[in-house]
Amino acid sequence: MVAFRNSDAAGRTSGLLIRCVLFSLLALGLIIADKRYDQLGRIRRFLSVVAYPAQVAVASPFEGWAWLRESFTTRDVLRADKARVEQELRVAQFRLQRYEALEAETLRLRALRENTAGIGSKFIIGEVMDVDLDAFRERLLLDKGAHDGVFVGQAVLDAGGVFGQVARVGELTSEVILVSDAAHAIPVQINRNGLRTIAVGTGDTGHLKLPYLSTSADVQKGDLLVTSGLGGGFPAGYPVGTVAEIHRDSAQSLADVDVRPAAALDRSRELLLVWLKPAPAAPLAAAAAPIPPSAPAAIHK
Amino acid sequence: MMRENRGRRVPMALSSLIALGLMIVPLPDTIDAFRPDFLVLVVFYWSIESPRAGGLTLAFAAGLALDVIKGVVLGQHALALVLMAAWATHLRLRLRVFSVLSQSLTIFALLTGYQFILFWVDGATGNPVTTFSRWLAPVIGALIWPLLAGSLSRLHER
Repeated sequence: MVAFRNSDAAGRTSGLLIRCVLFSLLALGLIIADKRYDQLGRIRRFLSVVAYPAQVAVASPFEGWAWLRESFTTRDVLRADKARVEQELRVAQFRLQRYEALEAETLRLRALRENTAGIGSKFIIGEVMDVDLDAFRERLLLDKGAHDGVFVGQAVLDAGGVFGQVARVGELTSEVILVSDAAHAIPVQINRNGLRTIAVGTGDTGHLKLPYLSTSADVQKGDLLVTSGLGGGFPAGYPVGTVAEIHRDSAQSLADVDVRPAAALDRSRELLLVWLKPAPAAPLAAAAAPIPPSAPAAIHK
Repeated sequence: MMRENRGRRVPMALSSLIALGLMIVPLPDTIDAFRPDFLVLVVFYWSIESPRAGGLTLAFAAGLALDVIKGVVLGQHALALVLMAAWATHLRLRLRVFSVLSQSLTIFALLTGYQFILFWVDGATGNPVTTFSRWLAPVIGALIWPLLAGSLSRLHER
């Protein structure tokens, strides 16, 4: 055994070198092909189907455990839950009364502008799979893919606001890049005055930043940021976050604005994948009407 | 010899699959950065233990799997794993007679090289991850290497 290995060692080295070089060239070729020519989408989709069982196998024990825990909750817990839910329902209904009034008012105003709501008409709900993709990037995996019609660049929302967008589509799964990813930017406007800017992720789940606002820009703590709809990737008017902190250094020309995202980036399990309705051509006359919060979007069209 | 190599394939595939699972098991954010690269360590182990059973092929396949799962540019982990597995194979005769400490140190060097290639490809393809915590993985990997190598040798020597 040992003798075999020893006699083999010299002869094997060259074989190892050749195979090493071959495999490395193959890998380099893949990197270049994937980066430069973007031709590997189909291969990747196929490979992601192969990876799917592994991902399901890892995710299912956690889902099974959650299911088990849910089915064995005690009566007391359920009663407490019921009381809490009823309480929440009362509060929600109370709020809803105002909401309905507001909605009616909004509809009236919209009717005045002869503009329809330019928000997505079709959506599906995707569930987050219990799989860690990469510790250093803000990505996650959804259980809907090309099979369900998901496409790259599709907007992803949760109950609180804008969550992210689809970065990569597999046959049965898709990868979502969160708004907080350091490589993600989203066009927004300040709801209070319509000031447009871009919110960029920081790589930290709890924070976004507005790096392109000058120190004299009219931005205040607590300002709500909504999607501006520019660029066409996201539907307009969805909350992105609230301004948490502003540092104005008079030596710098740009302000340092910290934003807390509106979506529960680290908690949401069900996400909404939205299809944008082809935006109705806004009548030019409407653009002249001084309605600050949504006017820039109308002008853009 | 051939039979022995073929017999190795099953534990190789099995341990790689388990390691792949361990790579994507969800962990709390705070300790996620401390997750060792299980699959990489397993590939190193088989490259050292039985390179003739297809260590480099395993390295390439495992690398591709990592690329797809992590959603990075295709070939990145494959390149890093193939190069470092080849290095590990080259060092295997020496590694076998090393003490546990020097083995761990060698594994640390291999893991650092692996991480550096990833870092380089990240930068070359235009999405660098410059957080310091990515350099923690080699340390953690070297620390758990004796444990992992011990349990893996149990697995296939039975």
